Amino acid sequence: MGKQGKVRGKKRKITSFQKRQNKYGYLFMLPWIIGFGLFTAFPFGATIFLSFTKVRQTVLGFDITWNGLGNYIMTFFENVEFTPALLSYLSMIIPYTFIIVILSFILAYLLNKITFLKGVLRTIYFLPVIIMSGPVMYQLLSSDPTGGEMDPAVKYFDIFIVQIIYAYSRRLAITLVDIFVQLSIILWFTGIPIILYINGLQKINPNLYEAAQIDSANAWQILWKITIPIIKPIVLVVTIFTISNIGTFSINPVYDLIRTATENTNGGLGIASTFAWIYSLVVLLLIGLVYLLFRNREKERRHN
Amino acid sequence: MTKKWKLKRLLRIKKLHTFLRLCIYFVLICVSFIYLEPILKMISMAFMSYKDVIDPSVEWLPKSPSVQNLVVAGTVLDLKKTLVNSIWFSGLLAVAQTIVSGLTGFALSRYSFKFKGVWFIMIIMAFIIPLPLLMIPRLMMFISFQNVLGFNLIGTPIPQILMALLGQGVNSTILILIFYNFFNLIPYTLDEAAMIDGASPLQVFIQIAMKISGSTVLVVFLFSFVWNWNETYVTGTLVRNSIQLLPAKLNLFDSAFATYAAAGRGAAQFRINEAYKLSATLISITPLLILYAFVQRRFIQGIENTGITGE
Repeated sequence: MGKQGKVRGKKRKITSFQKRQNKYGYLFMLPWIIGFGLFTAFPFGATIFLSFTKVRQTVLGFDITWNGLGNYIMTFFENVEFTPALLSYLSMIIPYTFIIVILSFILAYLLNKITFLKGVLRTIYFLPVIIMSGPVMYQLLSSDPTGGEMDPAVKYFDIFIVQIIYAYSRRLAITLVDIFVQLSIILWFTGIPIILYINGLQKINPNLYEAAQIDSANAWQILWKITIPIIKPIVLVVTIFTISNIGTFSINPVYDLIRTATENTNGGLGIASTFAWIYSLVVLLLIGLVYLLFRNREKERRHN
Repeated sequence: MTKKWKLKRLLRIKKLHTFLRLCIYFVLICVSFIYLEPILKMISMAFMSYKDVIDPSVEWLPKSPSVQNLVVAGTVLDLKKTLVNSIWFSGLLAVAQTIVSGLTGFALSRYSFKFKGVWFIMIIMAFIIPLPLLMIPRLMMFISFQNVLGFNLIGTPIPQILMALLGQGVNSTILILIFYNFFNLIPYTLDEAAMIDGASPLQVFIQIAMKISGSTVLVVFLFSFVWNWNETYVTGTLVRNSIQLLPAKLNLFDSAFATYAAAGRGAAQFRINEAYKLSATLISITPLLILYAFVQRRFIQGIENTGITGE
């Protein structure tokens, strides 16, 4: 907040000052506000409306006819692709977000403990943020040497533990190997979260640690009783950031579906809007849930 | 007696600490290799000859290095054209985004206007709302505009430049926050001094805020450049293939390669294989890698300066 502005704003007598503040504030904000209205707020509402319609492109523009719940019925009951894609999106986003939020915290916590090589390691961890794009990820994931024909676990048979687990349960081995194969991809999403965490960790007052140490708390207790509670707001930011960030990559199966539906401008836009709206609703609900989860806990603590 | 005991204990703690520190280094360095593995793999694959690729005994170091893969991948990607296109396209959008983020950040930092809190929430919302939700009406709007105007908008960079100029480009929210937090650090007295000397608010913005924040402008520009470079969803919807951009071309690499190989060069070694794919990927990220090598520090500081971690 512009501190000076706030202090002055409180003096109600100088109304001309406040008027100027309003005028110039809005003048500087104007481009963004217009853009927000035109390209974000209006499309937001329009998509919801379009999801109930059939859209056909004509020579002059678009022919929009009301379709009621038709699109939704088609999406859930007739379309064989959307529901599985949405489910596989959910089964991907939840463990991924979980792993990213925790792994990046651990890495940031460790990075914060060292001084030598810290810069170099941080640079390496941040590198993926710069080079990661949909096509790059697609190429990396699709250039699997076996072409996916073989059992993924068999490839790693030279690792003894994999063999043991495979003998016990084939399914478990495949799941575990999958996670490890995708680990580098998962790790590529931790670049920005690590920086955010480190930044937060550095802001913690070292006196707090000292006080805890004097009270004979060990490192484990300090981590859980001081560091994590203080860092909690950042966890919220990181979680929300991760959810909206992962969604934009082509590992997200729903994205491709919406994209192909959008490309069919002659008839597909209505159903594409339905897809987009359902998908966005799920994402927004997920983010809302995360937000509430962290918010509530904070309030509880205040009551105590 | 007690002194000796204390000393011993101290030594033991110290040893434990060194050991722990070594463990931390071990873990962090191992992890950094997991990060780099895909890139190292790309580099190693790119310099392998055809024989090395099919030779199972070659894991990382090629036995007979060649640049054949890179040459083929470069030709298929149409590198000369796509590279130039990508640079000017991302550069243009980055300039537009930098300007508007500066203006918005300045407004939020310097003025206390009505409903400022609401606009703040809206700026965050603009980041959270998933893109597919917005792209369909945007596409329809631009198609309608081009019907009214009588010339093509879809397939040109105009729609995206317009969106960037109005603050709705890639990750605009983060860019605005970087500016906002930097402007908050500039003492207000500087503005006041300039205003007493008769400067208009716009002059204060350009002559004072922008001039002081040269490094921030650079950071924002670089981030915007990189993000626009990597962005394929909006570009794919609004520009499609009219302007050939490097990442978009990489997306179509498999089919482009098939056409290339079919055009008289159908020898066995021209079958699609991962060496070509990874070479193409390496080529497409090389400009960004070079950029990062020079200004990595600024990138990291940029994210630190978003200030979303507290205050």
